[in-house]
Amino acid sequence: MATRRHFLKLTAAAGLAPAVVSAQGRAKVIVIGGGFGGATAARALKALQPALDVTLIEPNPVYTSCPFSNSVLADLREIDQQRFRYDGVKGAGVTVAETSATAVDAETKTVTLADGSKLSYDRLVMTPGIDFNWGALPGYDEAAAQKMPHAWKAGAQTVLLRQQLQAMDDGGLVVMSAPANPFRCPPGPYERASLIAYWLKIWKPKSKLLLLDAKDAFSKQRLFQNGWAQLYPGMIEWVPLSQGGKVTSVDPATLTLTTEFATHKAAVANVIPPQKAGAIAAQAGVADRTGWCPVEPIAFESTLRPNIHVLGDAAIMGGMPKSAFAANAQAKVCAAAIVSLLAGARPQAPILINTCYSLVAADYGISIAGVYRPDKGQLTDIPGAGGTSPLEAVGGLRGQEALYASSWFRTITAETFG
Amino acid sequence: MHRALLPGLASMILLAGPATAADAPPGASSCSGCHAPKAVADTVIPHIVGRKAADIVTFMREYRSGAWPSSVMGRIAKGFDDQQTEAIAAWFAAQPE
Repeated sequence: MATRRHFLKLTAAAGLAPAVVSAQGRAKVIVIGGGFGGATAARALKALQPALDVTLIEPNPVYTSCPFSNSVLADLREIDQQRFRYDGVKGAGVTVAETSATAVDAETKTVTLADGSKLSYDRLVMTPGIDFNWGALPGYDEAAAQKMPHAWKAGAQTVLLRQQLQAMDDGGLVVMSAPANPFRCPPGPYERASLIAYWLKIWKPKSKLLLLDAKDAFSKQRLFQNGWAQLYPGMIEWVPLSQGGKVTSVDPATLTLTTEFATHKAAVANVIPPQKAGAIAAQAGVADRTGWCPVEPIAFESTLRPNIHVLGDAAIMGGMPKSAFAANAQAKVCAAAIVSLLAGARPQAPILINTCYSLVAADYGISIAGVYRPDKGQLTDIPGAGGTSPLEAVGGLRGQEALYASSWFRTITAETFG
Repeated sequence: MHRALLPGLASMILLAGPATAADAPPGASSCSGCHAPKAVADTVIPHIVGRKAADIVTFMREYRSGAWPSSVMGRIAKGFDDQQTEAIAAWFAAQPE
């Protein structure tokens, strides 16, 4: 009581306008990584509680979006249309530190920056996205990615793959390899195969695409396969795991991909390698032996380190896929939970939605959606909700879903980056 | 001793201040991934901020039953019961445009 009386008297004297409270009294939240999760989290934190001191640490001055980057490969968009600056994040009152975080110390609640300086936090949000498991696929390393691009982080790699496709002779074989689960953007490889086939059909119609897969099933599978049969008959061959689809090594010098059953020589090779959480996650101690980050399902606080929240592609989110929509939705839930936690309140149990559109052709869209809630320590699909577009489309649904896809992209990038 | 408590308490009172979207009912914050909170040029996805709560509830029920055709909304509406839907609708209706 004494403390409370004293506090009330003091707050009355101070007037308690946020502007007059010393910096000491402002709770500090640091966000590491400025993708769909991190930029959304930073902006949402300031929108929910303007008095917070929010710093976003991101080394790149411009973000290049993976969603819709497959359309760049098919010449439907330019790479510049994938780029977003952080002016809207700064405009929201977030301090943007254009540098890398090199270390996180959960004990002292500090982040070390590339220049050796340290920032302290009350709560840390980590959205490091993915890194590649170089070495998990023999022959594939950073140098090999210059010959056989992954294009799974959008930017120069996307442009390189497009250039290779454009330089290929008509009749050339494009070989893609897709990794085992989990990985960023589960329908992404199949949308990419679709849009490359869409482009080949127009410009290099004698060419074919071979998709070697380390899985026997994939997201929106029947929708994609029906679309391929209808739009690109004989052009796309999908080889699942059980038929020897898993690529066991690659040779960038000869553009060959070797599976358990065969060796395939490509004219253009797109290798989507096995992945893990962005490297800083392991350094911070929030990644487990799988390489991904376990979190509780309400505020997405790490189960391995206190006061550190992990979301987006880097986190293990139960039934929720690694998508931009999911990262954005998780970021808003996490921001609200952090505001509650800092105020000494318990965050409410959330419900989250995921929506993901894929293009099978420029004017042919398909979708998957899900609704999730915490159950038994992880985010779980709400039974009866969610699912994919119907296999039989009526009323121009595929065209409508292509339009919804581009509308979604404009909305989510505006919400994320301002 | 009081002095040592101050920073924490000060931030607590600051943070207990007017929370707006923090009070959003479960599920509501996901919607703005598609439904822009502000006018976004060139979108076919309806604007829902400031719409009448009763209208939002009606649409969600129609999507859920399939009476009104939709892309993802029918599948999403099935994840929410009437009470949850009404709470989300009331919250969007109360948001400034």
